[in-house]
Amino acid sequence: MTTWKLLGSLVLAVPAVLLLAIGPRSKSHPPQNVVVVEYWEKWTGNEGEALQRSVDEFNATRGKEKGIFVNCLSTSGIVQKTLVATAGGVPPDVAGLWDPTIPQMAALDALEPLDELAAAHGINDKTYKKVFWDLCRYDGKLFAMVSTPYCYALHYNTKIFAEKADQLRAAGLDPTRPPRTMDELDAYAKALDERDKDNTLIRTGYLPTEPGWDLSYIAYNFGGSYWDDVNKKFTFTDPTVVKAFDWVQSYSKRLGKDAVTDFRSGMGNYDSPQNSFLAGKSAMISQGTFFAQVIHNQTNGKMDGQWAAAPFPTAVPGLENVTSCTADVLVIPKGAKHPKEAFEFIAWLNEQRNMEELCNAHCKISPLAKVSENFLTHHNNPYIRVFETLASSPNAHGTPSIETMTDVGDELGLFIPDLMLQRTNAKDGLAVVQARMQAKYDEFTARQALHKN
Amino acid sequence: MSSTNTGPQSISPATPAQNDVAMIAFPQTGRRRGRKPKTWINHLALWLVCAAAIAPFLFLLTTSFKTLENAMLYPPQWIPSPFRWQNYTDVIASGKTDFLLWTRNTLIIAVLGVGGTVFSSALVAYGFAKVKFKGRTFLFAVMLATMMVPFPVTMVSLFTIFRWMGENTGIQWLGTFKPLWVPAWFGSAFNIFLLRQFFLTIPDDLSEAAKIDGCSEFGIFWRIILPLARPALTVVALFAFMGIWNDFLGPLVYLQRPEQFTLALGLQNFQSQHGGTPWHLLMAASVLVILPVIFLFFLAQKTFIEGIATTGMKG
Amino acid sequence: MTQDRAEFRNTIRGLAFISPWIIGFCVFTAVPVGLSLYFSFCDFANVSPAKPPVWIGLANYREMLGDKILWQCIGNTAYYAALTLPLGLIVALGVAMLLNAKIRGLSIYRTIVFLPSLVPAVAAAMLWLWLFNSKLGLINLALRGLGWSDPPSWLNDPNWSMPALVLMSLWGVGNTVIIYLAGLQDVPRELYEAADIDGATPIRKMWHVTLPSISPVIFFNLIMGIIGTLQAFTQARLIMPSDGAGPARSTYLYAIYLYDNAFKGMRMGYASAMAWLLLLAILALTALATWTSKKWVHYGGK
Repeated sequence: MTTWKLLGSLVLAVPAVLLLAIGPRSKSHPPQNVVVVEYWEKWTGNEGEALQRSVDEFNATRGKEKGIFVNCLSTSGIVQKTLVATAGGVPPDVAGLWDPTIPQMAALDALEPLDELAAAHGINDKTYKKVFWDLCRYDGKLFAMVSTPYCYALHYNTKIFAEKADQLRAAGLDPTRPPRTMDELDAYAKALDERDKDNTLIRTGYLPTEPGWDLSYIAYNFGGSYWDDVNKKFTFTDPTVVKAFDWVQSYSKRLGKDAVTDFRSGMGNYDSPQNSFLAGKSAMISQGTFFAQVIHNQTNGKMDGQWAAAPFPTAVPGLENVTSCTADVLVIPKGAKHPKEAFEFIAWLNEQRNMEELCNAHCKISPLAKVSENFLTHHNNPYIRVFETLASSPNAHGTPSIETMTDVGDELGLFIPDLMLQRTNAKDGLAVVQARMQAKYDEFTARQALHKN
Repeated sequence: MSSTNTGPQSISPATPAQNDVAMIAFPQTGRRRGRKPKTWINHLALWLVCAAAIAPFLFLLTTSFKTLENAMLYPPQWIPSPFRWQNYTDVIASGKTDFLLWTRNTLIIAVLGVGGTVFSSALVAYGFAKVKFKGRTFLFAVMLATMMVPFPVTMVSLFTIFRWMGENTGIQWLGTFKPLWVPAWFGSAFNIFLLRQFFLTIPDDLSEAAKIDGCSEFGIFWRIILPLARPALTVVALFAFMGIWNDFLGPLVYLQRPEQFTLALGLQNFQSQHGGTPWHLLMAASVLVILPVIFLFFLAQKTFIEGIATTGMKG
Repeated sequence: MTQDRAEFRNTIRGLAFISPWIIGFCVFTAVPVGLSLYFSFCDFANVSPAKPPVWIGLANYREMLGDKILWQCIGNTAYYAALTLPLGLIVALGVAMLLNAKIRGLSIYRTIVFLPSLVPAVAAAMLWLWLFNSKLGLINLALRGLGWSDPPSWLNDPNWSMPALVLMSLWGVGNTVIIYLAGLQDVPRELYEAADIDGATPIRKMWHVTLPSISPVIFFNLIMGIIGTLQAFTQARLIMPSDGAGPARSTYLYAIYLYDNAFKGMRMGYASAMAWLLLLAILALTALATWTSKKWVHYGGK
């Protein structure tokens, strides 16, 4: 061996051997003689740190008392990893998922029902706001507990409203308040649109596809829904749903499809300074409770006080406080080694003080029916009361309980660009969506039925 | 068989195909053939090709030394200022990533997998090359045919087999490293083929002499053939290592627990973090993943040439 | 008698030596391939022990016929192969020919060309994710430098996403270059000399001497390329949005869809049917390539 080669080999081999011998084997070092509850979470960054603080507090208090240590590990692709690990017989004890995944996972027998554990801890339908209790349940059983939920509201830029006060007044609109009906929303939007001298759209008053999410909730504001839970049928071709998406397309027709595409391509990820609302390029936008934190963080506080939140307008007179709610949830996968201890942690987190602390840290609403005054006054979102009212309203909608929800999201993800590019109209496009989604759903249920005999 | 260790990527065109092992292992002896000396055009073209090959590396390197703010600047800086070595310590030691944990996991699989591939492939290759028996040709053809069965074809069944094994026998493979290295101990088709070709070039005289001295067949394999085959074994080891270092789909199917991630999974996990990709750290981590492979290549290339010289294969 | 016994002993010996492969072949290839044939006729979620596979006959295959996404994936994969295989061949061969000359610094050039193919797939993906960044990436920086004021946003544009994947795979073509180079260096000089005497143009020499001489190498690479592109997974999965499906599902490759069916939707029966189709496609294309090879591959009397 030449010296050079020997040296080179050592450079590679020594660290490798060292790493194998004394390298890290795990992230945390739980104390001895405790039950270690393994908890997989999707959150990283600030939200992840907030969760870790909650976990640490549990470990130091209730956990210590009961001999439980929660080991929180964050990972991407959480839903799929949890599902595959459950199939493989090596699931975590707790997994932090999203509510729309509950029906599929529960139907696949991947989740532990929590009814008995919840009852033992005095948790029942009175604990949560109705919408959240419902979305944790599937087929009559409780399969999840909420960690941090949010709902949607109209966010509007009060600075732009003030700057454009004259134009708004000229259109017969009040610049000091947000629109309350769809017609008003359209009128505000039109008055706030701005083009430069090349006629390029540089600001939209409102654009349904900002921030570019699936818009499945929009039918609620037209008094309709795309899912009939009693008959287990999609209702995408329902006239109200068609009307809702006609309305979505009307923005592309008014502004021009190329203008909309160009506008979109200039905008960044929602959680970045290039978010069209943060960049002052969308005067109004539909966003979740957490958005206050995004606004604050991404503009370094410069935009604080220059925006407000209000219930999203509706197209039906008398229909008020319509919103769509969704939640991060904690589940115990089937085959978890320590379900009881896992639920100790979940139950602890669902105590009012702990829940409000976490939800405030995530800048979200509380799922609990009871909300403390302290939570409302010291919340990171100055409009928390608007969101709390919305979530408690009878017109708050949760994600429908559909086992093939992922497919619905994918399908709408393809339909809406087509709609905005005017490659299809709402009626025809939704007919296709309806046929495809119903076929998928029927296929799914037919196959589920095979296993029941 | 198409073991998960050599990885589903091992024969995709964009990763080091194992077939070039053959070219390094058995260099063609033909003389280099020159064309007309229009060399400056040639050089120019090659410069362009090399620039295209190298530029991404440079971009990677400079980004890995930037702050995140500077990484997001437009137009980009070519020389990072400030020059941030700290990105590397951030990746390795700050707790922002579990880089060392991922590296250790990958190394465990690599050590066990490379050892298995080299030993078992050599054993099987010896059987195919040096022992004459009925059905040898047929079995060899079957072995070559298994190269046409890529991992995606068998992954569902393998997952299920391992699942059933855990359920019914208590031998839990899923959620452990075993599915990623145990199959390596049963040989891998391409490496067997490669080593067989090499063994065929070793004259039988030596082993005949040993046989007369009362050496067993395994003894011949172990004491005579293997030492002679060191260069070829090195190449097999190198490529088995790269296969494991590269493998993404295998760990993706078998490992879900974050503390068991390999570098490939870890890097991906790191990229898809919420709240914007930390490009500067991701690039530093990528450099750290690439570096050992390139280092190893240069190292083994030399080993190799030396090996050829000592075994007198050159002529 | 003794000869028979010697033969028998040799057979035992031989089988003993290859036994690791035989066991491995049965356990890790033959049984799984057989099992997936069975699963392909079943509905099988593979999640709960309480729900074993249920025989459903040809239902999975019938569903495949009507699965629009599947056909889109097949189309994407064919498109990917149709771009990657010939382009890879042309680029690799072109570079190899440049290298196949008496020029100074050849080994350095060769090493540099080879380096990218050493980069682990995941690291390469991370790197290209950054290179393709529509605003800050090197690619668009270069394109703007060349005067294209509005270069595509590669990974988010359905028309450019596949070319992006192909470009990325071409970067790693260095290993094929090395193979072709070795092949080129093995072309007997006498053939060129004979062609020179006949007054052949460089193009004719290339067509009638070089290509036929290295046709076995091209054939070998073609087969490996077919198998490789049909199972391509990692790069698209890692750089394209929506877990590899890409904008408007434009880079949804067969292996990714297979994986998604198996481990996202837990539709393992359907995924098994897809696995069988993949296997059959590989066998058929390999057979086809082998069959046509009789016309264009020349195993010279070397």
